[in-house]
Amino acid sequence: MITIRATVESDLPHLVQWLMKGDILQWFPMLNQAEIEDNMRIWSAYSKLGASLTAELNKEPVGLALLYIQPYKKLAHQCLFAIVVAPSHRGQGIGTQLMQALMKHGKEKFHLEMLHLEVYEGNPAIALYQKLGFTEFGSQKRFIKEGPGLYRGKIMMQKHL
Amino acid sequence: MVDLDIRYTYVTDISYLKKWLDVQSMLHWFPMTTEKEVEDMVQSWMGMSRYGAALTATCEGIPCGMGVLFLMPYKKVAHHCAFMLLVDPHYQKQGVGTSLIKNLKHLAKTYFHLELIHIEIYEDNPILSLLLKLDFHEFGRQEGFVKEERLVLGRILLECDL
Repeated sequence: MITIRATVESDLPHLVQWLMKGDILQWFPMLNQAEIEDNMRIWSAYSKLGASLTAELNKEPVGLALLYIQPYKKLAHQCLFAIVVAPSHRGQGIGTQLMQALMKHGKEKFHLEMLHLEVYEGNPAIALYQKLGFTEFGSQKRFIKEGPGLYRGKIMMQKHL
Repeated sequence: MVDLDIRYTYVTDISYLKKWLDVQSMLHWFPMTTEKEVEDMVQSWMGMSRYGAALTATCEGIPCGMGVLFLMPYKKVAHHCAFMLLVDPHYQKQGVGTSLIKNLKHLAKTYFHLELIHIEIYEDNPILSLLLKLDFHEFGRQEGFVKEERLVLGRILLECDL
């Protein structure tokens, strides 16, 4: 049974491990361990604000999701989020449960009215976001450079809570 | 049109940036509301100036506008970046913005080898027509992005190939 709880610092090494596995980094802007560690410092800072949730199975983290709470008052009613599910636990509904918990958490703790996301073209998670009611509001064709002349686009989606 | 010079931003230009942002009507175009929020933004702007990524327009030696490239920290996305622009309220509609954008594009392409630059503006910002004139095109529009008291505004995302 999956349980969702607030992220603690000791969950973050699991996240680093998941991001280092296989080709998962193709869906993120980071390229190597140094960039992942830099990203973890940011994740940790938001986590201390209570903006990160961890999905747990048999007392082991299997997914993390983060709200990038806006630092500006005028923008504080909405924010971007990120979600990562352990490669070994994909296709088991963990992403859906984590997303539903994140939306509820955002609404209740941070009074969010809207969530938005950035996902790269070809990412199978797009189907999940559509199922959860996210709609596209923009796309940037050359966001990721995978090699000379080789790009992957970014799609931006949002949902009112 | 005024007689302009464009140079790299000096750390001492910070006082001009703060002065222009102290005009309440200017803050309408930016995400900041409070003094602390302005301070954070200005520090982040000046941080980029240390990489040579910020330009200042001067008129008779006095700063009248500034622009900054927010360089990306990750290699896969290092071929593009967002930028911001601010023109002294007394020098608006005199070609300062046009000159700064042209010079930022040149700096981005020749010095940082960027392939595109992008900007986020709020939907009622009159700079939109200038950006379109300078070859920017829209790649996204998000309704309800800004809430300023009772005013709710969308954001428009624009990019330009270099």
